[in-house]
Amino acid sequence: MANAPGYEDVQGAWGVGRVVVDGVITPWPVSQADIDDDIEAAVPQLASLGLTEGGLVLIVSLLSHAAQVFPFEQAAGRLGALYSSSDRSPFDAYRCASLIRQLRPSVVMGIDHRVLDGLEDAGRDLAEVFGPVPAVTAVDHDAHARLQAAGVDARWWLALGPASAVQPLDDDALRYDAARWWVEVDDSEGDLVVTSLTERLTPCARFRTGARGTIPEPGRLLLA
Amino acid sequence: MFSPEVEAMPRPQIEQIRDEKLLGDIIPWAYERSGLIRETWDAAGITPKDVQSMDDFAEKVPFIDKDAIRSYRDRHDDPYGGLLCIDPADPTMRGVFSAIFSTSGTTGDPTPAPYAGRGPSMLVREFWELGTRPGDHFMHCLFTFRGPGVHETIRGIGATPVFVDHQPEDIATLLRFSRELRPTGWYTLSGPLVMMIEHTAAAIGADLAEDLAGYKGVIFAGEPIGPRARAKVEGWGLELFIQTSLGDVGAATECAEHDGCHFWEDCAYVESLDPLGTDPVGDGERGELVSTTLIDKVAPLIRYRSDDLVRVTHEPCACGRTHGRSWPLGRKGDEIVVNGVSVLPGDVWPAVESVDETSAALFQIVRTGREMDALKLRVGYASEGPHGLADLRTRVTDSVAAAIGFAPDIELVENDVLLRQGPPHKIPRVTKG
Repeated sequence: MANAPGYEDVQGAWGVGRVVVDGVITPWPVSQADIDDDIEAAVPQLASLGLTEGGLVLIVSLLSHAAQVFPFEQAAGRLGALYSSSDRSPFDAYRCASLIRQLRPSVVMGIDHRVLDGLEDAGRDLAEVFGPVPAVTAVDHDAHARLQAAGVDARWWLALGPASAVQPLDDDALRYDAARWWVEVDDSEGDLVVTSLTERLTPCARFRTGARGTIPEPGRLLLA
Repeated sequence: MFSPEVEAMPRPQIEQIRDEKLLGDIIPWAYERSGLIRETWDAAGITPKDVQSMDDFAEKVPFIDKDAIRSYRDRHDDPYGGLLCIDPADPTMRGVFSAIFSTSGTTGDPTPAPYAGRGPSMLVREFWELGTRPGDHFMHCLFTFRGPGVHETIRGIGATPVFVDHQPEDIATLLRFSRELRPTGWYTLSGPLVMMIEHTAAAIGADLAEDLAGYKGVIFAGEPIGPRARAKVEGWGLELFIQTSLGDVGAATECAEHDGCHFWEDCAYVESLDPLGTDPVGDGERGELVSTTLIDKVAPLIRYRSDDLVRVTHEPCACGRTHGRSWPLGRKGDEIVVNGVSVLPGDVWPAVESVDETSAALFQIVRTGREMDALKLRVGYASEGPHGLADLRTRVTDSVAAAIGFAPDIELVENDVLLRQGPPHKIPRVTKG
C-alpha cells in the first residue's frame, strides 16, 4: 500500500471535466471543494438505490464524466461499499457483463443505449445480464425503455449539467440535492435549468440541462 | 528527476531495499493471507522460513501465472483469484480498500484487481520526466477501468488533469482541449488512437502540429509502435515515451534518453528467465519477464510469469537512473514457429504498416498451435486501394514475405472488424484458427 509522495503544494483545479452547453462540449473546471460537496450529495443518492455497507456499485461511465462520477465513487466508500468501473461504450459492454457476473454488484449505474447495443450485438440477453442486479440505472430514454422491456425495473441517473439526479428504488421521481442545486422549469422552452446554491469554481447560473420535466417540489423531479 | 534520491540510488542500496521488502515483508504477509500463494507454496513444500536469501528465492519459490489465478477463482468461487490479502469487512480497511478494477481483458475475461491506497502512484516519476510541472494542465486520456490512480498521480505532481475519453467519438474534443488548454503531458496515446486522430484531423481539417504544440511529452502504451506510426506522430511534433507492462505489478517507461523502459526496483523485483524453463538469462538476452511486487500488500503477485518476452539490463542509464530497464519483444503465447522459423507479431508489424491501406497495423496471427506449416495473417485495411482487394492482398503478402523470408496467407478484413475486438487501446494479436 505504499504510494509515491506528492508534490507538496498542489495547485489549480481538481480537474477539468465537461458539460454540454447548447450542444457544445464545454470544459468545466471543478475544485476539490466542489468534489467534496458533491460527495455529500451523492451519499444519500446511492443509499436510495439500496447500496449498503459491504455492497458494491458498478459505475458504467466514461473518463470525460469524471467530475460527475468521482463523487459517486467516493460516496460508495462513505457507505462502506466498494465500486468498480467499466466504460460506457459498446466495445466495453463485455466488461460490464463480466463484472456483473464476477462481482455481483447490488447497484449498476450508467447504462446507455450503446452499452445495450454492444451486449445485444454479442448475443447477450439483457434480462440474463441485468436480472440478478437489484438496482440498475439508465441514463437515456432508449436504454431505460429497453431495460424495462427486458423485465428490468430500471431507475434513472440523470446529468443536470454538473449536478446529478437519481431515482430511488421507492419513488417515481428523481431526487437531487435541493440544498445545493436549484432546479426550475424554463417557462419558454419547458427545459429544466439548474443553478448552484453554493460557491463553486465554475459558476452555474440557469444552466440549460437539455432535459425536460417538472418539479413537484424542491428536490424531486419528474421527467417528461 | 522527481525523486532523485530514489531514482539514482546506488545499486547496493536498491538491492538492500529489495531484500528488506521482499524477504522481510511481502513474502510472510502474502503467505499468511493469500489463498493462492499459500496453496502454491504448500504444494511446493516450502514456507517463508525456507526463503532467507535471494538465492533461496530463485531456487525454491514456485511460480504463478494468469491460468493459476483463473483456476483458483473458478475452484473457490473467488473473484480475486486467491490474491486478496485483506478483509473487505475489516473496518480499518474502510477507505483504504475502496475499489475493484480490472485487467484489459485482451486475452479473456477481465480479471478483477483490488485497488487500495490513496494518493499518487509511482508514475509521478514518469509524468515529471515528460516535462510537466506544477500548474500545468495534463491530458488524462484513458478508460475508467484503471481507477483513480492516474488522476491522483497527475495531481501528485501539482498538475491539473483534463479528462478525455480514449474513444473515437472524443478525438475532436481532445484536439480542441489540447489547443485551448495547452496541456504539457499526455497519458496515454495508443496505436488505435493514432489512427483515430489522423482520421478525425482529416475530417475536420485540424492542424495537428498547431493543436498539439503544447505537449512536452506523451506516454505511448498498450502495444508497440511501428516505425511508420512513430514517424507520423513525431511529425506532429510529439515526443513519445514508450511504456510497457511490468507483468501486472506496474509499468516500465522510457526516460528522455529513450534507451529502454525504466522499471522501479524499489517497487518490483524483476527476473528475466528462460521462457521454456526456470534459469535466468544473461543481461540483455531474450527472456520471459517474471515479476514480484515489493509494495502491493492488497493483492500481491509473487513470481508471476507474465508471458511477456523482454530484454532486461541493470546497467545504469545515461540519464543517471540506476534502476533496471526493459525492452518489450512480444508475448510468449503469441509466438509461432513456421517451418522452424520463429515469428512474433513484432516481426511482421513494420511490413504490414508499410502498406498505405494497412498502415494502422491492425493484424492478427491466426494460430492453430505453436508449430505451424504456414503463417496465416488476418489484416485490417482502411480502404481497398486503387486496384482492389486482390492487388492489396498481393502487396501485403509481398511486404511481409520480404520481412520474414516466406510468404504468408493473408485474409483482409475492414479495420473496424478488428477494432471491435478492443479494448480501445489494443487488439488481441493472436486469434485461434
